[in-house]
Amino acid sequence: MSVLSLHDVTKNFGETEIIRGVSLNIERGEKHAIIGPNGAGKSTLFHLISGLYNVTGGSIKFKDKEIQNKKPYEISRLGLARSFQVTNIFARLNVFENVRCSLLWSSGYKYSFWHLLGRQKELNEKTLEVLEQIGLQDKKLIPAGELAYAHQRALELGIAIASGAEVIMLDEPVAGMSLTEAESAVELIHRITEGKTLIMVEHDMNIVFDVADRISVLVYGEVIACDKPENIRANTHVQEAYLGEVVTDA
Amino acid sequence: MAVIKKSLVWICYLLGLLALPQFFDSVLAISIFNQMAIAIVFALSYNMLLGQGGMLSFGHAVYFGLGGFLAVHALVMIEFEILSFSIIWIPLVGGFIGLLAALFIGTFSTHKAGTVFAMISLGIGELIAASSLIFVSFFGGEAGISGDRTFGPSFFGIEWFQNLEIYYLAVAWVFIATLFMYFFTLTPAGKMANAVRDNPERAEFIGYSARRVRYITFCAAGFFAGVAGGLFALNYEFITEENLNAATSGRVLLSAYIGGLGYFIGPIIGAVVLTLMNSLLSNYSDLWMLYLGIMFLLTVLFLPRGFAGFIMMHQMVWAQGKIKSLVLPYLLTGVPSFIFVIASVGLIELSHTDEAEFNYLGLNFDSTTAIDFILISIAVLAALFCIRKSLPQLRAAWESANEISDDDEKEAQS
Repeated sequence: MSVLSLHDVTKNFGETEIIRGVSLNIERGEKHAIIGPNGAGKSTLFHLISGLYNVTGGSIKFKDKEIQNKKPYEISRLGLARSFQVTNIFARLNVFENVRCSLLWSSGYKYSFWHLLGRQKELNEKTLEVLEQIGLQDKKLIPAGELAYAHQRALELGIAIASGAEVIMLDEPVAGMSLTEAESAVELIHRITEGKTLIMVEHDMNIVFDVADRISVLVYGEVIACDKPENIRANTHVQEAYLGEVVTDA
Repeated sequence: MAVIKKSLVWICYLLGLLALPQFFDSVLAISIFNQMAIAIVFALSYNMLLGQGGMLSFGHAVYFGLGGFLAVHALVMIEFEILSFSIIWIPLVGGFIGLLAALFIGTFSTHKAGTVFAMISLGIGELIAASSLIFVSFFGGEAGISGDRTFGPSFFGIEWFQNLEIYYLAVAWVFIATLFMYFFTLTPAGKMANAVRDNPERAEFIGYSARRVRYITFCAAGFFAGVAGGLFALNYEFITEENLNAATSGRVLLSAYIGGLGYFIGPIIGAVVLTLMNSLLSNYSDLWMLYLGIMFLLTVLFLPRGFAGFIMMHQMVWAQGKIKSLVLPYLLTGVPSFIFVIASVGLIELSHTDEAEFNYLGLNFDSTTAIDFILISIAVLAALFCIRKSLPQLRAAWESANEISDDDEKEAQS
């Protein structure tokens, strides 16, 4: 059963059509990668699913509820979490507080101003668990804005996964990392998405083929192929549109 | 251990407030302390908006003033026995009105932070200030309205004739208000206010409506501004349009900023400094507003994190026992700086005075001849020269004090 399904989703900015009728079914527990050349609309698609943008047409269903044009916080509360391509953290809060904030809603605190955070044992323990998962436990008191880039990326992932959402969307999680940093980041992604549904935008083909069960290829706002990694690799259309381009780039 | 340490800070705060009149017991001193108490609560409430929530308000006096006006009305009603409760609860009346106003105004003003919020706050501020002159029966026009705090059921026999009695009442309220505002920063709503300040977009992706978070902070700030307004009503027993206009809004912004927005204690420092300047300096000089303006400018330029930020800068140096290496450089720059300030003020005052013979710091100057101007100018320039000469040393000392600490950190990590 698909946990997330897009039906004929379109998005225009003014006259320009960025997403031109995307239909996509993501199965529960699947690791799904979206690839495509620059400007194909991958990030826009993410923004549409997560509620940052409103769709122009079509529908998006998450766990049988229509979520198109809902606010980001409403979608997040349903159990769909995402990370960002450009690091998007709470710069003046420390690492611990960053992660704890993202645990607050799912732990049921809502807008409470009658709980003292320091006294919430379970919440603080959970925060430490997440910090251990992302390997930042010894940096917990450093303001997030002062972290090294790779650590900020790890924190970015930590904020996304902390709430325990069942569907996690990662937008270029290893962008701008060195090879060794990227390797440990992939390991981290494997670890934190175990048993969960993952949707990922990524440029690095090695990582995509390593992580994904299924790949969608997005070109100029349309999905031209959606299949298992080995079939995508063999698909001539895809090679023309995308993979060939990467080889010449390199 | 940490709990004991924290409680100790609070106990010291309370004892310090309570002990103040033991050291200074003149009528003037008590009146200044009362102003300080009011200013502390008001500035802390302002910092909830700007420091914690990232909302730059130019109209925070609205909640202070409305709270104060209703508090005076409540005093009048107690006098005429329409209401019957002890006047110790008046700050709560103010707080309740501040909260009501914020509940209403917040519905549209907290939609966005940044410029939009600032402009709406300015507009609301002007609107209420203008209305206060139009609706004379409620606001009393330019003369304002007045009440009498000595009526109502007595509180353990205290009749509230003296300002000192009001001071102790104010201390109780200041302490409670400070405590609650501090606790607010430790709650989910308070922490999310920081998160929304830093990054409203991301806050929405972890389940929080940035608007709702701002709204809650805004209402809390309105409530405590109202409490400060209630304290004002109790202390002065009258209130005028001046207490809710832009000048009052501007002053609370200044005190929070000068004290240091990023720190909980900052606005307390700012409120104390500004009250002292306001009440002491104004006795000596007509130009105190000019000095305040210059001080604000210097703070923005050189101490962007305020006095509290300046103190906190030394935390690490202090913790590693390297503060001693800074004493001499500080003195070398500090003494000429002090002379520079004194001489500059002298020059400004001498140019400003109408009298031929001008007394400044026990010295007599003649404002009609050029010679005294030249003498003071030389002092100003000489001090400036010394500052310039000693500044590189101070900078080097500061850097070396912090540099070594960086190495220590690396050692500690490895």
